Amino acid sequence: MASSCSQALRHHVCKSSRLLRVHLQKSWTNRSFEGAVCVSSSFALNSAADQQPAVSSPEEIVIPKKKTWSKEAVLQALASTVKRDPTASDYRFQDDPYLTPKTSSEFKLFSLSQESGRNAAKYFINTYPKYFQKDYAQPHIPCLMPDTLEAQIEEVSEAALIERIGMRKVKAAVDLYDQLLQAGTSVSLDVTNQLLDLICFYGDHDPAQENVPEQRNEETEDVQDEPQAKKGRAAKASDLLKATWKEKNNAERIFALLSEPNKHSYSALIRGMVKYGAYSKAFSTYTDLLNSRLKADMHMFNALITAAPEVKEKYNEKWELIVDLLKQMAEQKVRPNLLTLNAVLKALRRCGTVGKSQAFPVISEMKALSIDLSLASYTHLLAIFYKPGAPIQGQTDILQEVMNEVSGKSFTPQDPDDAQFFITAMRICLDTKDMEQAYRVHELLGVGENWRLLGNDFQQNIYYARFFSLLCMMENIDVMLKWYRDLVPSVYYPSSNVMRDLLQALDTDNRLDLIPQIWKDIKQLGHANRQNLVEELLTLMAREKHNQEVQESFAECALDIKKIYDTGDRGKVLLNWTAGSLSDLISVLLAAHRRQDAWDMLKLFKTHNRVPSEELLNKFLMCVKEGGEVNQAVELVQISAGFCLPGTPKLIQRVQQEFELTEQQRKMLSDLEIQSFNSE
Amino acid sequence: MYRRLLINIYQVRNGLIHTQNTRLPSTKCKERESFAPVIWAPCTARPLGTSSISFSENKENSTSLSEDKEKRPEENEAKEEVNTDGQKSTEISNATLTLQLETEPVDKPEDSKQVEKTKSGKESLLELLGAMKVEVTTVRKIRPSKTPRMSERPDQEPMESTHSMFQHATAKGSQQQGTLNPALVAAVSAAASTLPNRHQAESELLKQLRKHEAVPDTQRRADGQNIGHIIADMKVGGRKTNGRSSARPTSQIRFDDDGKGYTQDRGITGELDAVRRRKSPFTSKRLNIFTAGMEQDTLSVLGPTLWDIDLANQIVQATNQAPRNGFEEMIQWTKEGKLWQYPINNEAGLEEEASVPFHEHVFLEKHLDESFPRQGPVRHFMELVITGLAKNHHLTVQQKKEHIDWFRDYFRQKDDVLKEAEA
Repeated sequence: MASSCSQALRHHVCKSSRLLRVHLQKSWTNRSFEGAVCVSSSFALNSAADQQPAVSSPEEIVIPKKKTWSKEAVLQALASTVKRDPTASDYRFQDDPYLTPKTSSEFKLFSLSQESGRNAAKYFINTYPKYFQKDYAQPHIPCLMPDTLEAQIEEVSEAALIERIGMRKVKAAVDLYDQLLQAGTSVSLDVTNQLLDLICFYGDHDPAQENVPEQRNEETEDVQDEPQAKKGRAAKASDLLKATWKEKNNAERIFALLSEPNKHSYSALIRGMVKYGAYSKAFSTYTDLLNSRLKADMHMFNALITAAPEVKEKYNEKWELIVDLLKQMAEQKVRPNLLTLNAVLKALRRCGTVGKSQAFPVISEMKALSIDLSLASYTHLLAIFYKPGAPIQGQTDILQEVMNEVSGKSFTPQDPDDAQFFITAMRICLDTKDMEQAYRVHELLGVGENWRLLGNDFQQNIYYARFFSLLCMMENIDVMLKWYRDLVPSVYYPSSNVMRDLLQALDTDNRLDLIPQIWKDIKQLGHANRQNLVEELLTLMAREKHNQEVQESFAECALDIKKIYDTGDRGKVLLNWTAGSLSDLISVLLAAHRRQDAWDMLKLFKTHNRVPSEELLNKFLMCVKEGGEVNQAVELVQISAGFCLPGTPKLIQRVQQEFELTEQQRKMLSDLEIQSFNSE
Repeated sequence: MYRRLLINIYQVRNGLIHTQNTRLPSTKCKERESFAPVIWAPCTARPLGTSSISFSENKENSTSLSEDKEKRPEENEAKEEVNTDGQKSTEISNATLTLQLETEPVDKPEDSKQVEKTKSGKESLLELLGAMKVEVTTVRKIRPSKTPRMSERPDQEPMESTHSMFQHATAKGSQQQGTLNPALVAAVSAAASTLPNRHQAESELLKQLRKHEAVPDTQRRADGQNIGHIIADMKVGGRKTNGRSSARPTSQIRFDDDGKGYTQDRGITGELDAVRRRKSPFTSKRLNIFTAGMEQDTLSVLGPTLWDIDLANQIVQATNQAPRNGFEEMIQWTKEGKLWQYPINNEAGLEEEASVPFHEHVFLEKHLDESFPRQGPVRHFMELVITGLAKNHHLTVQQKKEHIDWFRDYFRQKDDVLKEAEA
């Protein structure tokens, strides 16, 4: 860490000294041609002479203008010197081995607990503001002081209404508005519009308060607080489903009360309708707007374009409606922005083949208006051409085109969908098995601030899972392991499926000798209790013969695996022995000549009611023969007979021929032979 | 070197050797070093840049002994080249050969002279060397001059071919000097005979001819030496020339200060990419609905609406805002106002105070207006109060005024008590 830091710092110093030299050149070039050569400046002379052919202009000193640095400039420069350390976990975690997450569940737990601690503190500060009034900080730090959550102005006035709007109290604001109207005081159009904005934005429901535990919400509102209990994406979906635009709600009522609604009022209403799913109503409101000879604004059009695919059935009709809206925009001299473009592209995602033909003309149109595409635009474009699950036919170069456009650029977040780009692009790379583009996508991630656009932890995990699966599939083992060491576990915690991919990659590249190492990682990542993963691991180890050293390490690994089988978690058995896993384990041990361990394992067949295969017993007999243990051989036959294996007679024969048996043993064997013969 | 040699030759002929010898020590170094770059001047199309290199190299040479030693083998090499040249062009007249031989001894004392000269300054130079590590720095300094040279090698090919033509011409010229010289001289004398001052004109014309001849000759030789120079450079610093010519320009541009991306040319794939880009669907026809240059929406003037705030919030939610290191966390704190801002300013948070001049803080007598008695204990007390306030740097002017106003009110309320006490 420290060395990488210092190296980075040195790089930075070099950079700035280069800058300095560039500045010095100007003054020194002239001097060098006058012959006044000073020794100390020789290095500058050389570079100056190289880059600036002599311009014998009169010497002129340009005093640089004073530059006001932003308050973050110093810190940004310093931050740019710090590079990612693949051996360390994310910065947000405590720098303590005990608190460093090793599995994805730990990662989730630690990061969420930090966040929830923060929220709890905020909750207490806001609930009991009277205990947090002491202001030690000078200058004053507003964000450390408790927020005012209760309305301060009690009387019925416009100021009180503005205050309630500012505090986003929908119900209270509506009540107050009604009271104001009843008292006969008129409310100005601006304030009414703000109120409309508020109502439409929250769909006539009080917003769920952020960072507030759910029990508090029970008293306020029943619709919005439920998602608080759930998390993440599911919450949003259910939120949208439940909160719908209700007929004759407060927004429509207040809107109807307005004598002369202006553009802003219509805009609020239409956007609210679109947000809460009243699409056709939004279009009829738009018609009302046109009838009252008003002009629409950009936000209204953006909302309507988003709604367009919902109100029409056929692809053609959808597209015609969008074109119609765009034409009206042009007529009303409304300039589209990036969000318009993204809305159109998003709508085109639902227009099937029309989308494929119209996407690029739309983009060209927006480019002609000098609108720069954001990553969301590219995301929609990719989604138009590559439907998930659909077969890929002939469109494979669209991704390449997109990458040609975006590679090397640093993007700033401008649209909530921007964060979908990387996972979408990586999905397509995985679908098309295009390693080259995947590297380009990953390279783009490293440019500038693009890493921010990878999105939250969930999306990061998806992205890396896709990238890593592709690597397992397409790359040779050395390159893949390089990436593996780089990504795991500092940014990515592979799932058990990805680990299986990794094992398969090891298999195809014939590097099974790395399995013990991978097993350690598997244990650390908490996948040691995955039955199919462990079984696959055992099968791979047992399948082929390796040299002695490798076999020895395999045996160690196998015994380690056995421990996992034995221990279990708090009395519960994590893994169940199967015949396959037992025989694989025994073959690994036999291959490493650990007869005693293998012998102990063999007894487990009996205790777990599993039946060993004939092949395994033959293998075992070979091994026993090498050791010359006569008793064990006889015991083996007994075990075999105990399971009533069809191969028992053969085994008996072999033992009789290959071992020097005592009289007693001979007798026992012949008894067994008769026994097995009878059973058949 | 060779130009000097040739100049010597002609000056021996012209009998001007004495003046030349006096001039030599001063120009020697410069002459020798500026030599190759000057030849390069026509083809590099950057005459001044290269000549300035020669300046710096020249200077270095005078300061570093090691550099000097490095040049010495080059000289020898070039000398050999001349000798082989002489062998090749057997038609070259005996006269020139002998002249060359003549100049050999002339050359040697000069060399020894130079060695002496460098030796005389040796002690100081060694000091300099020890102090400056000239060797290391020279390597670095020579580099920039080399890359253009290396990069211009392809350009050099046509130059060389023309130059070989040139060589033929000069070979002919030297032949002319040997075999056709009498005819040329005869022609010159014939031409000169038409002029009034016959002798002078003749010598002038001949001199001119020789000058013309000398230039290509030197050029050719110098070029030979120059190539040798490059080869010698390669031998000395093969490491720096080999890797450098390919790796350096790209890496340099890629990590340039402006931070702009530089798409690396990747040979065939790069070309293919370029071909594809030409046909890129991103440059396809447009819908032609909008016309460029429309007015921006004026609604945004009203300030951010709830919707705008929500959009920003959504974007923040969608992107990863977690800091990656301590500095980024500090940036976050700075934005939240939790951290003292850089550059450190001990008046942070006192922005409104900055506009208040100091005398407002210090001279507070003007606030003791009519409402206070002109004299007496109250006045005395208040004077002490304002003296105290004047020295208090914790309060703003407004707070000081409020403080005085409080006393004003207080004394007004106690007016009757005061009157009773006749204060």
